[in-house]
Amino acid sequence: MTDARVEPTIEHDPLVNDEASEGQGTLVKRLVLVVVLIAVLGLPFLRSMNGYNYVLQVGLIVLMWVTLASSWDILGGYAGYISLGHNMFLGAGAYFSGMLLAYLGISPFLSAIVAGFFAVLVGGFFGLITLRARGPAFIISTIALVLLVNNLVDNWALSGGSSGLGFPLPPLPVEWLKVPFYYGMAICAIGSVYLSYRIAHSKFGLGLRAISQDETKAEVAGINTRFYKVSAFAISGFFIGIAGALFGYSLSYFRPITFFQIAIAAQMVLSSIIGGRATVAGPVIGAVLIALVNEFSIVQFGATALNIVVTGGILLIVLLFFPQGIVGSLRNAGRLPSFLDWD
Amino acid sequence: MTNFLQVLILGLILGGVYALMASGLTLLFGVMRVVNLAHAAFMILAAYIAFFAFDIYQVDPVVSIAITMPVMFALGVGVYLLLFRRIEGTERYVEMTVLMTFGLALTIEGLLTFFFTGIFRSTRPSYATQSFFFADLFLPKGQAIATGVSIALLAMLWAFLTFTKTGTAVRATMQNRTAAEIVGVNVRRISAISFGMGMALAGAAGSLLSYLFAFFPSRHWQWVAILLSLIVLGGMGSLKGAILGALTLAVASAFVTDRFGPSWSPITFYLALFLVLMFRPQGLFGKVVRI
Repeated sequence: MTDARVEPTIEHDPLVNDEASEGQGTLVKRLVLVVVLIAVLGLPFLRSMNGYNYVLQVGLIVLMWVTLASSWDILGGYAGYISLGHNMFLGAGAYFSGMLLAYLGISPFLSAIVAGFFAVLVGGFFGLITLRARGPAFIISTIALVLLVNNLVDNWALSGGSSGLGFPLPPLPVEWLKVPFYYGMAICAIGSVYLSYRIAHSKFGLGLRAISQDETKAEVAGINTRFYKVSAFAISGFFIGIAGALFGYSLSYFRPITFFQIAIAAQMVLSSIIGGRATVAGPVIGAVLIALVNEFSIVQFGATALNIVVTGGILLIVLLFFPQGIVGSLRNAGRLPSFLDWD
Repeated sequence: MTNFLQVLILGLILGGVYALMASGLTLLFGVMRVVNLAHAAFMILAAYIAFFAFDIYQVDPVVSIAITMPVMFALGVGVYLLLFRRIEGTERYVEMTVLMTFGLALTIEGLLTFFFTGIFRSTRPSYATQSFFFADLFLPKGQAIATGVSIALLAMLWAFLTFTKTGTAVRATMQNRTAAEIVGVNVRRISAISFGMGMALAGAAGSLLSYLFAFFPSRHWQWVAILLSLIVLGGMGSLKGAILGALTLAVASAFVTDRFGPSWSPITFYLALFLVLMFRPQGLFGKVVRI
């Protein structure tokens, strides 16, 4: 697992611009990027499509998972600190904006960005505590963190407690209702993938990768590991917080368990790992794949219990047989198509 | 004063059961460096075995330990051979074990929900609702029995680790896996046995859990978070630490329950975990381990 991550950074050192190997690859990459962007942003224009609102809803969910997986990858992939508690940010954003709407009537479309910064603050605060631990103790503390927050919100009268928080949807005709949510989530997804790309190609990202390789050595080499880790934890919360605000609003009613359930964290981890941890393209592919499989299986079988079995089972199989995920395995085999290579 | 003593007693007898639950977890981490996120899922699985044994064949939950322990031992050895032997010695091993047990826990939870649905269950032997009375104090009979059984099993575990050759090998592997291998310990065999024992302890705990607490499949996350908090508090891989951590936190949570109500009691464990991480990340009895 480690090797897969070292070699690419040496071979494709982002600081060395290897002109010879690029050229055609860059062209294909740009083309693919433009096509994907047009597809994502153009989807709401296909208004004559059958089941328009359903397609937009699925698009919204897929884009949300892209946001979650890409953001998770900043800490869980680059820094190698697996968090099973990142759904905390989703709930933090949803409750921040949801309560502003319920009590002060401020639209989440306005407050979502503030919810993102709120999530960063929450992440910084808890990061300072949980990141004192390394390895297994850190992972354990992230589980405890989600359960703690869940318990607190459950018992907090102002947030509606365990019976939840409800509010009206925006006053839009039904055929336009999904559009603002969809574009909001599209901005989140594009933003988080861009953020992941920028981090992968920065000194900050190299520092995180160094921590992932050997934290003690990184520290000795003069990297302020604590600052790097806590920053990674906090930054990874930003777009998840915004996505939470938008998603919570689109539900018009939610309870603590809507966000603070381990299944959400599981899907973030699985999406990121199946696509390829510590890569830019991996979490995107993994998120789209898993979200679509999930949607399909819910439509076909409707059983959520089997969904959990499938999530767990796929995770086990991926870990046993190709722990580097799709992007990592293709790269190791030397078959990674250039349009997937953004590292 | 009476109330104080009463809460203390209730905390301590719960602590005995928590200690049993946590012992398998810490044993597994000590021997194999496996952070078993599926520990509580296996406990719940054993609780279902105990539940159906009681429901269909009227087997007493305490007696059902004789079923759950061997079944879970076999299951543990199977899981070890099927999943964990393959990843031994890989890079980022501890992290891998966490992710694998995470996947395993989800799978078990999903299967339990699929087959047994999500409704609350518990076995109802007659002693579950009876109590002993001493002057002003009372001692719930079911919990007292569970604590007695836990102490007996922990004593047997201690005797096994101290007086038998295999037990000595287990302890040697806990201290230093490589050195144990050098002096001739069959580390793989020890690993398989420890995995089985960890699961067997989870099985016994599950039998007791089946009448002490209402359970349903997804409840295991709360349990595993509580148990992991206990072993982080005690120092991961330390049996003594796990037992003392269990007693301390069980008493603390009993007082929190008494003062603020039962819905706040799990928070005690999580807050304790964060306090430990802030002030003594290696836990009360842990060595600073580099992984």
